[in-house]
Amino acid sequence: MIAEAIRAKKRAVIPYVTAGLPDIETTGEIIRVLGEAGAAAIEIGIPFSDPMADGPVLQKASYRALQAGFTLDGLFSKLSTWSSSVRTPLIVMSYMNPLMRRGFEQTLARMRDEGIQGVIIPDLPAEAGEIYGQCQFMGMDLIRLVAPTTTGQRQKEVVSQCSGFVYAVSVKGVTGARQSLPIEIRRQVEALKTLTDLPVCVGFGISDARQVEEMLAFADGVIVGSHLMAKIMDSSEPVRTARETFMRL
Amino acid sequence: MKGYFGEFGGQYVPETLLPALEELEGAFRSATADAGFWNEFNAYMKDYVGRPSPLTFAGRLSEHLGIDAWLKREDLNHTGSHKINNALGQILLAKRMNKGRVIAETGAGQHGVATATVCALFGLECAVFMGTEDIERQRMNVERMRLLGAEVVPVSSGSATLKDATSEAIRDWVTNVDTTYYLIGSAIGPHPYPTMVREFQKIIGIEAREQILEKAGRLPDAVVACVGGGSNAIGIFAGFIDDPVELVGVEAYGDGNRRHAASIGFGTPGVLHGTRSYLLQDRDGQVLETHSISAGLDYPGVGPQHSFLSTTGRARYTLVDDRQALDAFRLLNRLEGIAPALESAHAIGYLEQYAQDHKGAAVVVNLSGRGDKDLHTVLKEGL
Repeated sequence: MIAEAIRAKKRAVIPYVTAGLPDIETTGEIIRVLGEAGAAAIEIGIPFSDPMADGPVLQKASYRALQAGFTLDGLFSKLSTWSSSVRTPLIVMSYMNPLMRRGFEQTLARMRDEGIQGVIIPDLPAEAGEIYGQCQFMGMDLIRLVAPTTTGQRQKEVVSQCSGFVYAVSVKGVTGARQSLPIEIRRQVEALKTLTDLPVCVGFGISDARQVEEMLAFADGVIVGSHLMAKIMDSSEPVRTARETFMRL
Repeated sequence: MKGYFGEFGGQYVPETLLPALEELEGAFRSATADAGFWNEFNAYMKDYVGRPSPLTFAGRLSEHLGIDAWLKREDLNHTGSHKINNALGQILLAKRMNKGRVIAETGAGQHGVATATVCALFGLECAVFMGTEDIERQRMNVERMRLLGAEVVPVSSGSATLKDATSEAIRDWVTNVDTTYYLIGSAIGPHPYPTMVREFQKIIGIEAREQILEKAGRLPDAVVACVGGGSNAIGIFAGFIDDPVELVGVEAYGDGNRRHAASIGFGTPGVLHGTRSYLLQDRDGQVLETHSISAGLDYPGVGPQHSFLSTTGRARYTLVDDRQALDAFRLLNRLEGIAPALESAHAIGYLEQYAQDHKGAAVVVNLSGRGDKDLHTVLKEGL
C-alpha cells in the first residue's frame, strides 16, 4: 500500500534505483539496505535505450545497465526475492516501450505477481484512461506525473486517474540534480492537495537534506534519483554508498 | 482517438510537453484554416524556395530500364532538398506563436540546413542537434549551418546518430518549452507533428500530380519515394492517395543482411519519440542500432502514417541496400547528369527491381535531395 506507506513516514523519502547497475544482484542488495534505512517506497528504474525524460546521470545509468547485460527476464527472476526482502513498497519506473513489447497487460500482471505495487511511466500516452483502468483492475497503482506546465483542468483529470501518490515534477526539464528548485512548486503542490486526498510527492532535481526539508514543509514526500545514482556509479562500494547517501538526505 | 492513424501515432510524451503540443495543434489548426497563412506559405515557396520544382522526364534512364521514369526535382529547391517545404511551413507557425528560439534534430544535415536557413530568414535563434557520427560524415552541412548562424549541438549519447539527436532535442524542448519551438523535420514524433509535416510536404504530391497529368496526359502507375522517417514519401503520396496509383516506399536495407534501417520491413510496433509506429527493437523493447550509408535514412522508427498505410495495404514498402543505392547514384549521374542524395538514390535504386516486371509502366520518383553532400561518402566507396 504505497499511499499508506508514505503517510506513515514523518519524513517520506523515495529513492530511485536503476535496475542492473552495476549488476542485478547488487540492485537487490541496494534495495534491501534502502528498505532497512527507512525508504517510504523504492522506485526501480527499468533501463531504456532512449530515455527522453532523463538528464545525463540517469541516461548514463540506463546505458551502463544495458551494457552490463540487463534483461527483463533477469529482472523478473529477481522481483519476488526483492519484494519479500523489504517491507517497503516497490514501484517500477519504465518508459512505455519496454512495458508494451510483450503486451502491456501481461507485463504488468507479471510484475504485480512478483510483488510490485505501482508503476510510473514518464511517457504515458496523453489519453491514459485505458491504462489507468487496466492498473486498477490488476490492483496496481498508476502514479501520475504533474508538471509545472500542467493546467488546472488537466491537473483534475490526471489526479482523478492516479493512485498511490501524485508525482509533482518540480522543474520544467529532465531528471537531474539542481542547485535550487523553483518556488512555484509550493503553489503547485498546494493546488494539487485541494484536488486529491492522495499524497503529493515532489521529484526531479532534489539532491540534499536542505532541499528535502524545504519540500517536506508542504509536500508529503520527495523522490531522489539522479543524486543517488551519481553517487552509486562513482563508488567502488555501491551498496554502502547507497545506504550512506540515503541516510544523509 | 486524437492523433492516431489506426493503431499508430498518439502522444507518448512527458507531461510537461502536453500543453505545448496542444498549443501547437491549436496554432496549426487556426493557421491552416486561414487563407492568409497559405498565401504567405505559397509566396515563400515560389519566390524563396523556387517552386514549383520541375518534373523531369528521365529519357536515358527510361530507355535503360524500359519504363517511363519521371523525377520530381526536390533537389532543385533552395537548400537542396524537400526539407525546406516543412521548415518554412513550421517557421511561419513559430512566428505566429511568438517563439524566439527554434530547435531541430538532423541526420544528414539537410533538415538542419533548412531550419538554419529559415531561422536566418526570419531572424530567429537556432540550435540544431546532430549526432557526432553524423557530424563526421556530413561535415559540409555542419559548416553550412554554422555559416547560417545556427549553433550545432553535438550529441554523443547512444549511437550518436539521428535517433539520439531527436532524444536530445526533446530534452531541450522539455527544458525550454516556454520560449522554444521544436521544428521536427520528419513525419515522426507526437501528434500533431506527423500530420503537420505531411500537410507542409503535400505540395510535392499536388504539384507532381498536376505536372504528370499535363506532361503525360495520365496518372502514373506508381509513385516511388525513399522512407527514413518518411517526410518526402508522405508528401508525394498525399497527392495521389485517392488515385488508382501504386504507392511504394523504399526503406534502407543497409548491408543487405543484419545491419539496416528498415523499420516496416523488419520492425514491430513500438513507441519511440512520442509516437507508436513500426520500430526496430529487441525482445525487451530496447531500440536497436541501425545502419544505412545514407545518414538521412539511418533511423529505427518511421512515421506512423506509413505504418498505417502499410498495414492497410494502401502503400507498399520495399528494400534497397547500400550497394544498390550507390549503383543508382552513379547511374543517375551518368545517364541524366543528376547527382541524387544517397537517400533519394534508394528510390532510384528500386526502379531496377520495379522495371523487371512492369515494362512500359510510368513511374514518378521523388528525387528528394541533391547529392553534393554525399560526394565524400561515395568517393570513399570508389567511382
